Amino acid sequence: MKQRRQKRTKKVVPWWMGLLAFSGALFLGAASKGLTPAWAKQYNVKWSDQIEKKQSDLRYGQGEFNTFDLYLPNDQTKDTYGLVVYLHGGGFTTGDKAMDESILAWLCSKGYVAAGINYTLRNEKNPEASVLSQSNEIREAMPFVIDAARDAGYPIDRMAIAGGSAGHTLAMLYAYRDGKSAPVPVVLTFGSVGPSSFYQEDWGIMGLDQSDEACALLFGVMSGTSISPDEIADRSYLNKVKPISAFMWIKDNPVPCVAAYGTHDRVQPYKASLRLKAALEENGVDHAYFEMKHSGHGLQNDNRQYRKWMETIEEYLERYMH
Amino acid sequence: MSRIRKRILILGSIGAGGFVLGRLAVRWFFNLLLGGTLFGGNFL
Repeated sequence: MKQRRQKRTKKVVPWWMGLLAFSGALFLGAASKGLTPAWAKQYNVKWSDQIEKKQSDLRYGQGEFNTFDLYLPNDQTKDTYGLVVYLHGGGFTTGDKAMDESILAWLCSKGYVAAGINYTLRNEKNPEASVLSQSNEIREAMPFVIDAARDAGYPIDRMAIAGGSAGHTLAMLYAYRDGKSAPVPVVLTFGSVGPSSFYQEDWGIMGLDQSDEACALLFGVMSGTSISPDEIADRSYLNKVKPISAFMWIKDNPVPCVAAYGTHDRVQPYKASLRLKAALEENGVDHAYFEMKHSGHGLQNDNRQYRKWMETIEEYLERYMH
Repeated sequence: MSRIRKRILILGSIGAGGFVLGRLAVRWFFNLLLGGTLFGGNFL
């Protein structure tokens, strides 16, 4: 009887037809994950000279990477403009401002002057580059960005600074550590998954060798200074990582903040983001902190939360940049 | 039920299963690289 049933099933759907249907659907299913949800399309604006002008590769220093792009709204009727700087990610070792063209175009389409800034990446050609040197480059770039906007006919009266991952770290450092000396008031910082603190006990998440030696090496490279295993052991290293730990500077310049982190992040430790959250709360900073409970570094599994996060960024831009 | 109808029903089921598995495979891959849960959050 079993044989008869199998025979009947075979007749209804030949095995090759089933396999073809399964393979096709598998492929379509996988491909569909790459589609942008309808609600997210508004944030992916394609740059067009109909809505904005773009000035590319303006220089702010002599280094190969010391360049920035300016996106200028076509509406030139305002007396002053808000500037939004968005810094690219890439683990401090890769990436380029061109990666963020769609978000920069989106910001510009909302009436802001938008800027993407490159910084010297740590690689074989630049073994001395560190988070510290990169954050200093961003600080040095800002007067050039604001002057270039003014020269183009867009006087800047306030700014927000944002970024993703490594760019988020640099954005927070500028806002909290350097914001007081900025050419215009820094009124907002936003971004996602950027490390803002460097504690040995937090950084085990990426399979880092937990020894003091390994930690001294990693934090030394990031902070651009020499840290010894003894300094890790007696915790005096915390003074050396302070220049690259944005959360330690919040009380000096409590800039409003919107930030998002993934609970399962394997690239930057989620635990570190809790220190940022606590510092924002302790210092009474107007902030919105989003924990994406099912996502990692790509914030890829929490679409509803992601949407809320983007809407909150818009709300904060409205609140502080108008 | 006609043979054609049966075939459509079976192929539809196979297709739906394949589609879901395809999405889960991509999700699994990205979770492997970046961290994340397979079934938590917005399913699929």
